[in-house]
Amino acid sequence: PSQVVPGADPSARQLCFAWGPAEVLVCETLFGRRGGYPSRGEAAPARELLRGVLTGSGVTGTGEGGPSSSCVFVVRKDQDIYIQTLRKLFNESHGIFIGLQRSEEELAGKSRKAQLVQVSKNYRSVIRACMEDMHQATISAQDPALRSQYSTQVSILSAMELIWNLCEILFVEAAAAGPLLLRLLDWVRLHVCDVDNMVQEVLSSDSPPKHELFWNVVDIFVLQGRMDEARHLLSKEASADPTSMNMYKILDDLMKKMPVLSVGNTQTLTEMELKWQHWHEECQRYLQNGTFASNSHMESICKILLGDEDAILEKKELMTTWYHFLVTRLLYSHPTVKPMELRFYAQACMDLFLGGESSPEPLDMILMAAFEFEIHQVIKECSIALSNWWFVAHLTDLLDHCKLLQSHNLYFGSNMREFLLLEYASGLFSHHSLWQLGVDYFDHCPQYGRVYLELHIERVPLTTEQKALKVLRICEQRQMQEQVRSICKIMAMKALRNNRLGSALSWSIRAKDAAFATLISDRFLKDYCERGCFSDLDLIDNLGPSMLLSDRLTFLGKYREFHRLYGEKRFSEAARLLLMLMTAHIAPCSFWMTLLTDALPLLEQKEVVFSAEQTYELMRCLEDLTAGKSEQQKFQDDDVENIKVEMLRLALARNLARVIVKEGTLEGS
Amino acid sequence: QVSVINTVDTSHEDMIHDAQMDYYGTRLATCSSDRSVKIFDVRNGGQILIADLRGHEGPVWQVAWAHPMYGNILASCSYDRKVIIWKEESGTWEKTYEYTGHDSSVNSVCWAPHDYGLILACGSSDGAISLLSYTGDGQWEVKKISNAHTIGCNAVSWAPAVVPGSLIEQPSGQKPNYIKRFASGGCDNLVKIWKEEDGQWKEEQKLEAHSDWVRDVAWAPSIGLPTSTIASCSQDGRVFIWTCDDASGNSWSPKLLHKFNDVVWHVSWSITANILAVSGGDNKVTLWKESVDGLWACISDVNKGQGGVSAVTEGQQNEQ
Repeated sequence: PSQVVPGADPSARQLCFAWGPAEVLVCETLFGRRGGYPSRGEAAPARELLRGVLTGSGVTGTGEGGPSSSCVFVVRKDQDIYIQTLRKLFNESHGIFIGLQRSEEELAGKSRKAQLVQVSKNYRSVIRACMEDMHQATISAQDPALRSQYSTQVSILSAMELIWNLCEILFVEAAAAGPLLLRLLDWVRLHVCDVDNMVQEVLSSDSPPKHELFWNVVDIFVLQGRMDEARHLLSKEASADPTSMNMYKILDDLMKKMPVLSVGNTQTLTEMELKWQHWHEECQRYLQNGTFASNSHMESICKILLGDEDAILEKKELMTTWYHFLVTRLLYSHPTVKPMELRFYAQACMDLFLGGESSPEPLDMILMAAFEFEIHQVIKECSIALSNWWFVAHLTDLLDHCKLLQSHNLYFGSNMREFLLLEYASGLFSHHSLWQLGVDYFDHCPQYGRVYLELHIERVPLTTEQKALKVLRICEQRQMQEQVRSICKIMAMKALRNNRLGSALSWSIRAKDAAFATLISDRFLKDYCERGCFSDLDLIDNLGPSMLLSDRLTFLGKYREFHRLYGEKRFSEAARLLLMLMTAHIAPCSFWMTLLTDALPLLEQKEVVFSAEQTYELMRCLEDLTAGKSEQQKFQDDDVENIKVEMLRLALARNLARVIVKEGTLEGS
Repeated sequence: QVSVINTVDTSHEDMIHDAQMDYYGTRLATCSSDRSVKIFDVRNGGQILIADLRGHEGPVWQVAWAHPMYGNILASCSYDRKVIIWKEESGTWEKTYEYTGHDSSVNSVCWAPHDYGLILACGSSDGAISLLSYTGDGQWEVKKISNAHTIGCNAVSWAPAVVPGSLIEQPSGQKPNYIKRFASGGCDNLVKIWKEEDGQWKEEQKLEAHSDWVRDVAWAPSIGLPTSTIASCSQDGRVFIWTCDDASGNSWSPKLLHKFNDVVWHVSWSITANILAVSGGDNKVTLWKESVDGLWACISDVNKGQGGVSAVTEGQQNEQ
């Protein structure tokens, strides 16, 4: 199918195209030659002329053929997921789908079948609920365009339910001869024509038999095998017109006696057929006797009872569809029809009904394929006719559970069920909240589900922290390590850009991203140097083993610990830690000055904190630091730096003096 | 059926050459012959101009978004022989790096898979391909493949990241040994595959099938199969799908997707690699999908102007 992007200049422009995660971008361009400049990839001018001719793209000058559009069109496939009122459909069917995947496979035979039929009915009730909602929306909609859209949706949903119901009867339940017709009758009564309005009108009138639609209603009851209701109406006619009493009695009797294979009936098919044959012959006799000759309506009914094709066809307008015609015909000519015989009747009925006036529509083709038990054909036709994957994906999945689909290998080796589910779930991912449903669907696609999920989940915008955590949880549950790392890195980067260092740090720890952790630790340290205090203390205090992710992070954690120890007045521990940070080279050289400066208050304590050995170490560190500086650097160092160094030297010397004395003094002396 | 959900009026003063969505579909970058690169916020059907980046001195041919884990970074290349890398810092977009090492128009830029780090491949009309790798602290390292394609290189496309050998998780902090590869297309009618070995880039494969300049190459995303797939399109109107079945990357075989009546300029793969989009000189973009029997079928075409919805035809004939 061809899809048109509106608003474009019809002159000789080309379309530039790019994939977005859920949409495509289209804009006008001219890949080939254009005014003044050669096109991409062109080098020598001589070639330009040649190219110009080849591409047929006209010649020079800006604005040749009119100004080009400066618009970029964002185009998206019309998906039902964007229709608000269908939300219920997607959400609830998701629940049914998951239930089905997890259902008891050990149940065999009848109970399994019953279970599957129930699932099918559940799906259908969701469709109907949606139809009802959509119908309400249609009524309450103000905007006519919207109303028309909703109305279309109602028709589509109605068609979906029609098809699904038929598939349930033929494939899921696999109704056998006998019950088959009963189900089909139900199907027709439920879906095909809206008789109720007509019935109401007639019944509520003063004299129903005088109503112009009276016989229409009687006819439709008969056509749908609703004998009791037909007889009830007919009785009103009888009482109104005594002359036809005799005729009426006979017809009523015939209708009452019609053999019907009802549920719970113990008679066999053969018995039923025999009875039916007798009854059929009785009807025949009355007709041939001319019993109903004086009343064309009743005669027509008798003919219908006899399965007379022409008589039934005469009521075409009432039946409205060829499949109604089919079921009526079967009811009155072959009620014990076998499933495999349906196809012959179906084709014949459709041809007769349409009679060459109109050609079959997509819906007709789908139903026909179903009657022919061509399941693959049904799925294929539905895929083409419907604008969403929802229907075919769920129906095919159900049929697969009924073990009805042979492995129909597509090019990547996946089967039809998986193919459709992948398409459906992929579509869900372009929706800001329905994507979560998509995850579960991918989970149940054994071959490509995982990789599709990996590709799609990466594109879910991580707009909030909660959303990111949600996505993360999904990835972690499925051991998607790459995606976990990727998401954490993205969040870390985002946090860093917004200056939320604590958040950035915890994300990079989660991502096990050492490089980033180092980067952020540096930022923390830089902040400390500038402001004299740490932000996000809670986080740093509770790093635990993740501190080891990167050296800089370790330093950050330990440095903070130093501050904590100092705050708790555990000076000797603090001192030990401080020294260790330098001697074990955990602290970066750039930070040594700061550390030594931090040592100052410890050196000036009343109580001696650093031992002699420790003091020598500190002095060595200081000398290493100053020696490391070139002459030029020393010259550039401002006075503050030099004073600091001098102060340190002094403090260290004093401390040394005190501690030598202290250590040299014996206890108690 | 498709709908136009947003029409972004870029207000570019001249022909637009490229438009790219960012990773999440929230931002749109466009570039034009008017020498500017523009960035728009397109969430919820809106269009807010975030940045109008000036720095190029000629038509800008392509833009490419880097992976969001590196921040908001965009690369652009131009006829002015420059590659500019733009970065969003504290809410504003600025030029963060400018590469001027090419002698001629730079036609294509493509970011490597994020697993490799922040690496940009650039193809130029001077026949060279340069690889810019971010090494930290605002520094970029450059590796150049001179004479990658005689006359000029028109397109570059990276292979998806695949870890060779076992998939045992590496200890944290250690990078797995990725085999880095990318494909390029040039004016020598060839598609070439490049592989990094011991820090050097070597030509691994030469794919010959086109009879005229190769305009675009696109390496398909990986869906976990051992096969690799590349699409190439050319001035000769043909689009080829190249597949390689073995992991060592030795035997590539082409399949003709279709012969168009005009130059084919652009090919690109959807995220899950199941649809290939082809832009040709015939005012149309066609979408292709591989069918059951291995043949490629056109599933749709997007065009402008008059065009009705026609019945679906399964599998257009591959015209020779």
